[in-house]
Amino acid sequence: MKRILTAFVTVAVSYCALCAQAPRPTSHVVGKPGDLTMNVNGDAAGPVAITGGKLLTVTHGVIENGVIVLSGGKIAAVGGPGTAIPKGAQIVDAKGMTVYPGLVDAETNLGLIEIEADLSSNDLVETSDEIMPQMQVAEAFHAETVRIPVARLNGVTNAIVAPASEDSVAGRDAFIQLYGHDRDQMILGRDVALAMNFSGEQRRQARRGNPPKYPSTRMGLATQLRQAFLDAQNYEQTMAHDTEKQNADKKAPPKRDLKLEALLPYLKGEKPVVLGAHEGYEVEVAMELAQEFHLKVILSHVEHSQDVLDKISSYHVPVIVGPIYTAPAPNERYDAVYSLPAQLQKRGVKIAIASYDTQNVRNLPYAAGYAVAYGLPYDEALKAITLNPAEMFGWGDKLGSLDVGKMANVVIANGDPLDVKTDVKQVYIQGIAVSMESRQTKLRDAYMKK
Amino acid sequence: MRVTHLRRQALLAALAAFVSIPLAAFSQQPSTAPADIVIKDATVMTASHGTIPHGSVWVHDGKIAGVGTSVNAPASATVIDAAGKYVTPGIVDPHSHSALGDDVNEATSPVTPALMMVDAFDNSDKALYQALAGGVTTELLLHGSANMIGGQAVVIKNKFGLSRDAMLFPNAPRSIKFASGENPKRVYGGRNESPSTRMGNFAVMRQAFEDAKAYTASWDLYNAKVKRGDKDAVAPKRDLKLDALADVLAGKMYVQIHCYRADEFLTEEALAKEYGYKIRAFHHALEMYKVGDKIAPTGTAIATFADWWGYKDEAWDAIPWNAVMSMREGVRVALKSDSNDYIRRLNQEAGKMIHYGGATEEEALQMITINPAWIIGVDDRIGSIDTGKDADLVIWDKDPLSTYARAEKVYIDGDLFFDSAQPGFGTTHFSGPMHEAGFGGADDDGDAQ
Repeated sequence: MKRILTAFVTVAVSYCALCAQAPRPTSHVVGKPGDLTMNVNGDAAGPVAITGGKLLTVTHGVIENGVIVLSGGKIAAVGGPGTAIPKGAQIVDAKGMTVYPGLVDAETNLGLIEIEADLSSNDLVETSDEIMPQMQVAEAFHAETVRIPVARLNGVTNAIVAPASEDSVAGRDAFIQLYGHDRDQMILGRDVALAMNFSGEQRRQARRGNPPKYPSTRMGLATQLRQAFLDAQNYEQTMAHDTEKQNADKKAPPKRDLKLEALLPYLKGEKPVVLGAHEGYEVEVAMELAQEFHLKVILSHVEHSQDVLDKISSYHVPVIVGPIYTAPAPNERYDAVYSLPAQLQKRGVKIAIASYDTQNVRNLPYAAGYAVAYGLPYDEALKAITLNPAEMFGWGDKLGSLDVGKMANVVIANGDPLDVKTDVKQVYIQGIAVSMESRQTKLRDAYMKK
Repeated sequence: MRVTHLRRQALLAALAAFVSIPLAAFSQQPSTAPADIVIKDATVMTASHGTIPHGSVWVHDGKIAGVGTSVNAPASATVIDAAGKYVTPGIVDPHSHSALGDDVNEATSPVTPALMMVDAFDNSDKALYQALAGGVTTELLLHGSANMIGGQAVVIKNKFGLSRDAMLFPNAPRSIKFASGENPKRVYGGRNESPSTRMGNFAVMRQAFEDAKAYTASWDLYNAKVKRGDKDAVAPKRDLKLDALADVLAGKMYVQIHCYRADEFLTEEALAKEYGYKIRAFHHALEMYKVGDKIAPTGTAIATFADWWGYKDEAWDAIPWNAVMSMREGVRVALKSDSNDYIRRLNQEAGKMIHYGGATEEEALQMITINPAWIIGVDDRIGSIDTGKDADLVIWDKDPLSTYARAEKVYIDGDLFFDSAQPGFGTTHFSGPMHEAGFGGADDDGDAQ
């Protein structure tokens, strides 16, 4: 007990400069949606210079004894020890520390469920129909979820929030940052991608005494999807025609079909579709369908697709891999899934690694590290949880690396970010040193001090 | 790309032709391990007396015969150069349901102590192989948590590829699984049966112990009559359930209790005191950090998760500092998997304890070796690298408490059961359907070897 207390006191003393600028809780709302250039107190986040640390820039290598300046919510400078520090900037000594961009989890269910066993907290997926593009994650996202500060403490600053996978089209994903006063500050992008699945889980087979209903087979799933896309294309044409006609006749516009309307931006390739499939043949069938309708695909999962890896690379689409902790099939080697990120990357595929979770989002960096153990180059592993997912969802120019002009989402840790032994000391989101407290640290501290 | 695959097929065919053993899955004889092996020049993490840089471990006839910067092995010993590598004791998982198929829970009555998990043990389960590849050499296979008093556990050594009998841990103490809290409530309450509350949970247990006491008393009476020479004495009817409970009350079984909440640890300890049995370990025990000072004097250990939390109400106050905080209060702490997934990388779960609370490397390693071995009651035979113990050893390519380590070789009783450099699946005693499937995944390119 005494030993551990001493350890915590030491940490607290070393980082008092960091702790001092954690925002105070408050109830008044400031700032525009997604804009945290002011913190929740309405104070402008003053310039901060993090000095002496080892900078993992992601885009331009490692800078030892580097300096990174955060100002106005953005990264204002990145460089070696000679980098100019603006007057009045708060200096944060990061000697012996590693500094890297905030991690981006390419798929989570954050804010859609609190306690798995508690059904009343469950907003994961609407299963009354299989084609649900009108479902918007942003409208269920629970900004105050206890899960977010916990994930943030291990350096995760941004995430895709997706519905669960029991529908063929489960809804529209949101892109969030893991800090903000309310939903509007935390949701950076409302409808950034369409969540689509072809993995057999979507079949409405006989269950709990209920008879099966269509679609109860993969043939049914594929047919239903194809029909939905055709219906949407037809809807667009009919709507255009009817609107023109009814305008001419000075009649009320035709009634909208929100479901079919929601598919249109994706059918036009304006936004990506995250296409989840596990087995090789599922990937092939789903990709045929996607190509038929010219969807802009991000493949997802592909854990048991070792037999079609070359084909996957020929699609020239990015892939979110995993979770890499998925057990191999009985006829696969013990490391078949652990090695997938390396196998895909080697074939030139842009990969992201995701937690696909809520309680284990904080373990995202360890999944990337484990992929390194199984052959993925370290730099590519770090990219797979920073720049690559940001790029896949259209945020590559704003996030995912230590580059001037990007959002100041920066993490300071006492070592290698991908190692389980490493402790994150401070997280900055849009230049603000966010609170390093969570419900869990409060419980820890309450019982440590008794 | 297919070369490795073809090579493996050729190898298997050659094996079948020349050695003329069928490619049957099981019941092969163990390959005869060399009498003496020396693992040389490794970072030896003993789990009992620190880490030895450039250390050696001498294995003789399946036991550890020496460990140190040098060992007195005979010149004939097979030498394994492990320069730059790490050696740890085999990992011990004190809470697994692997190889029990869908037979984990006999959820038809809240008191089922007569059941023996060994009767459901399926030694062909690939989860065993995946755990072996993660360095796990011993597992306590437990009944599930549906019942307040569940079945009796089986202890196995993870000798994947050998027969069922060859995988049983010889002469391991008996353990029995108890449960508490939400799971029994949900299972029986959901059917409008008892127990449906925590009050009901404990009432069910107390009644079971009263039944056992009466049963024991009837046998005591009978035995006393026989001793007196009473020829009319009639033996009571044997009841397997009450036999088992009587053994619990007589201290003949280690009681392993699935239990989450701080108040329930206290209630369980009070009940144990009331009926005179000892609790070996609380499993899950996610709130032990709240009452560690009260539990430490009882000697009850915990088998907990590194960082699982929030999946149900009684896990809502879980914190990843639980293990280290409880340890600092004097509680013996083990980490466990309760999962076919996490069992494959318990070494990383231990590494997290350095991050969450500042465990030393040895303390972290003890949580997956000697401490779980104590919970199972076999810490005198496994769990550390000490002379005289079973040679259950793992050679890792990197620091096993980091994210980056892979088990390269796994020895059990001095015999090699997993070798990542072997073609195909890395197993040494298994040549069953998994191999015949001939699909090697990542090994096809040979770069995952």
